[in-house]
Amino acid sequence: MTKGRYIGLASAIVLFFLPWFVEFPGLPVEGHRVLGIFLAAIALWITEAVPLHATAVIIILAEILLVSDKGILSAPEGFEPPSFRLFFGTLADPVLMLFLGGFFLAHGAAKFALDRNLARVLLRPFGTSAPMILLGLIIITAVFSMFMSNTATTATMMAVVLPVMSTLPPGDRMRTGLALCIPIAANIGGMGTPIGTPPNAIAIGALARDGISIDFLQWMLMAVPFVLVILAFTWVIMRQLYRFNGKRIELSIESTFDTSIPAKVFYVTFAATIVLWLTTKMHGMSSSIVGFVPVVVLLSTRVFSPKDLQSLQWHVLWLVAGGIALGVGVGRCGLDAWLIGLVEWNSLSSTMIVAALALTALVLSTVISNSATANLIVPLAMTLAASDGIAVDPMVAAVFVAIGCSLAMALPISTPPNAVAVATGAVRTRDMALVGIVAGSMGLGLFLFAGQWYWALVGVLR
Amino acid sequence: MSKPVILCVEDEVEVRDALLRDIQPFAQAFKIDEAEDAADARDAVTQCLQADRKLALVLCDHLLPGETGVSFLVSLNEDPKTRSTRKVLVTGQAGLEDTVKAVNDAGLDHYVAKPWTKESLQEVVTRQLTDYVIEHVDDLLPYVSVLDGARLLEAVKHRGRHE
Repeated sequence: MTKGRYIGLASAIVLFFLPWFVEFPGLPVEGHRVLGIFLAAIALWITEAVPLHATAVIIILAEILLVSDKGILSAPEGFEPPSFRLFFGTLADPVLMLFLGGFFLAHGAAKFALDRNLARVLLRPFGTSAPMILLGLIIITAVFSMFMSNTATTATMMAVVLPVMSTLPPGDRMRTGLALCIPIAANIGGMGTPIGTPPNAIAIGALARDGISIDFLQWMLMAVPFVLVILAFTWVIMRQLYRFNGKRIELSIESTFDTSIPAKVFYVTFAATIVLWLTTKMHGMSSSIVGFVPVVVLLSTRVFSPKDLQSLQWHVLWLVAGGIALGVGVGRCGLDAWLIGLVEWNSLSSTMIVAALALTALVLSTVISNSATANLIVPLAMTLAASDGIAVDPMVAAVFVAIGCSLAMALPISTPPNAVAVATGAVRTRDMALVGIVAGSMGLGLFLFAGQWYWALVGVLR
Repeated sequence: MSKPVILCVEDEVEVRDALLRDIQPFAQAFKIDEAEDAADARDAVTQCLQADRKLALVLCDHLLPGETGVSFLVSLNEDPKTRSTRKVLVTGQAGLEDTVKAVNDAGLDHYVAKPWTKESLQEVVTRQLTDYVIEHVDDLLPYVSVLDGARLLEAVKHRGRHE
């Protein structure tokens, strides 16, 4: 164990017990207990003293023990403790089922090499002109990362460009450009769908608890136009910065699709799931119910074996569950109202509040995990939006936090896709910081400037 | 995390230097140790394990003063701590019987015949080390630019890091 971890663990323990010894005026007893859990979660998620998903299960257990009906402490007077099932239930929250569906599709795509083959086929129309190849890589990476994790997308696409990178001389700026465009596009593309990246799920899960539902198509309608503009902007600056203009690149674009029966069953399931996601309005099945369809089909047809089931990234789901459980605890125990009461919000305009939320998310998730950031900030954002005298729509608040998390891509540690790009040896932190900060702040500015106006225009926001 | 170790066992100084020179590119991500006979190699292995480093690969000559290379590799294979170490024989003088013993009892992973070419040796080492790190190392990213990047990235896809 490193020194940082000891410090993280020690501060988490101190912070956990702090509200037991210090009384905060206006905060009920159960609120004190959850405040301890919340503060400890901050310390653990920032320092990673324990794995991120371990912090999530710690939250769930702590809430059950301290503020549920099966708790080990007697419930404070006047407090109706929620059922412990509510906290365990976060591990099977509907939004996790939506994500599970996404995992099935992504795992199958990797298993049958659909991602690799599709990437090569889709790159063909972009020819051999270097700026066009750059555009192709950016678009395909972004589209893939809407349906697979940003990290898996980056690994897939990086494997496509590695061979051509090795043919370029070490000093060639294009090498850097090729390796850098992929994580940037993957991070941006992740904003595009509910299953693109965990912060989206955390926002959707929190909104659903307050009775606000966003279906798959609505989310895409809200996010994809912005994604496209940010990608176009990224393309323009990167082709200049990394001297793609007037050059040619030959990518290997051979592809051999798996035509076995299980592969075909998977292709059909994949396509059908996406169609069902986009047509929720027609059949009435919500995105999370649709997400469970590929789970059922691929397991019943034995296309997925128990081994496939085991190799899914369950820890990612549990991290999201921890965020949802934290939100439940904060909401049920009156911590939310008390926290919001600490600041004179009425003196701030709604635009400023939203900007502050998104910017906080962006800055925090530049240095810690995007999911952990969303877990910590989404509950606060939702509370803020629900309180009297503040004219912020809850949907705007939650979605802006999710977007802020995804736009944080300035450093190698900001997100795993960035770490993958740096590992190729072709990208220096300096390059990443420049493009990451420029694209990230441009994206944030665009959302702040046009987001609410455009969402009202397309009827997602009333 | 401390770098995993590549151990070269070769008694002739010039040959050992040539071997070390040809695997120099791997020094970015691996610690390269050398030994001149089996006893010396055993000390190196003990030191490596005591320092909590992983012994990733042994490149071993067969004809050494004293104990043979194959016999040393067999002993590595019998020890649970070094069973998963990738074992490559680099030799010109191992007879059929010893070679069979190496394959059957030492879990030999590859046989490089002397004289080797730099390219083929590097290819073998790359493949063996890539196999090894995928199987035994959690964080593959430090190896992407040194070993088989495409295969490592494919493995990274299934590791699942928190975004």
